[in-house]
Amino acid sequence: MKTSKADFDATCNLFINSVNNYFRHLTEIDSKLNVPYLKESEGLVLKDYTGMIGISGNRKGFVYISANRDMYEDLIKIFIGIEDPSDEDILDMAGEISNVVAGNVRANLGANFMISVPVVFQGMPNQLKIPDDVSIYVIPIIWNSHEAYVVIGLQ
Amino acid sequence: MRLLIVDDSSIMRRIIEKHLNEYEIEIIGMAADGNEAVDLVKKKKPDVITLDITMPGMDGLACLDEIMKIHPKAKVMIITALADKLTGLRALDKGARGFLYKPVNAGDLAKAFDRLLKRNENK
Repeated sequence: MKTSKADFDATCNLFINSVNNYFRHLTEIDSKLNVPYLKESEGLVLKDYTGMIGISGNRKGFVYISANRDMYEDLIKIFIGIEDPSDEDILDMAGEISNVVAGNVRANLGANFMISVPVVFQGMPNQLKIPDDVSIYVIPIIWNSHEAYVVIGLQ
Repeated sequence: MRLLIVDDSSIMRRIIEKHLNEYEIEIIGMAADGNEAVDLVKKKKPDVITLDITMPGMDGLACLDEIMKIHPKAKVMIITALADKLTGLRALDKGARGFLYKPVNAGDLAKAFDRLLKRNENK
């Protein structure tokens, strides 16, 4: 059974607030939001590097944040001063952002909104299968001139 | 003060290390999961441990149980993205001395460690 639009909008707003808080608190640069949309066609919107979190408990589905390398490079430079991070560092950064953004949502949704450890990947893995019975919301954001996608799929 | 940093994110471990550099803290190890952390606690008996919760294998709360069995004097500060109150209360109930929600910046860590060190002085 799919969630109602009102429920889904409310959940999306929690993630939007969580993303905004992440960037503002750690970088003092606000993220800007483009118009979110419901994705109905097949396939996923992905940038180069993605951190994905599985959701279980009261809600089931996933959330991922996907961005190109330059956004993660900027964050790593701000956080630890590394100018030329490895691929491993970039993937780690992708996983950590998605973990924090999803975990912070539990402040509102409670401990039964259970999240997995991040799964990180580069590009579009062949084995990535998204269930048919989830509604997928895409929230495009801009931080420090870098575009990223926050994608939420919930039953 | 001898510190063990436990977090599955290498970036996060280095952020904590960087921000705590100004304190008189000797970082005696870093662990990426609960099992690795328990091994290091047994071997090195750190005074303070920063502990993530969401980790592969043994998670932070299970790890905290093990740490309290083998080294109950360790002062454990949870640093986690899980921002619900129940998780915080469970961690404190299990013996954690402090709790920080990610995202964590330098100021957050400084305040938390100041509180922890003051408590140390008072004991």
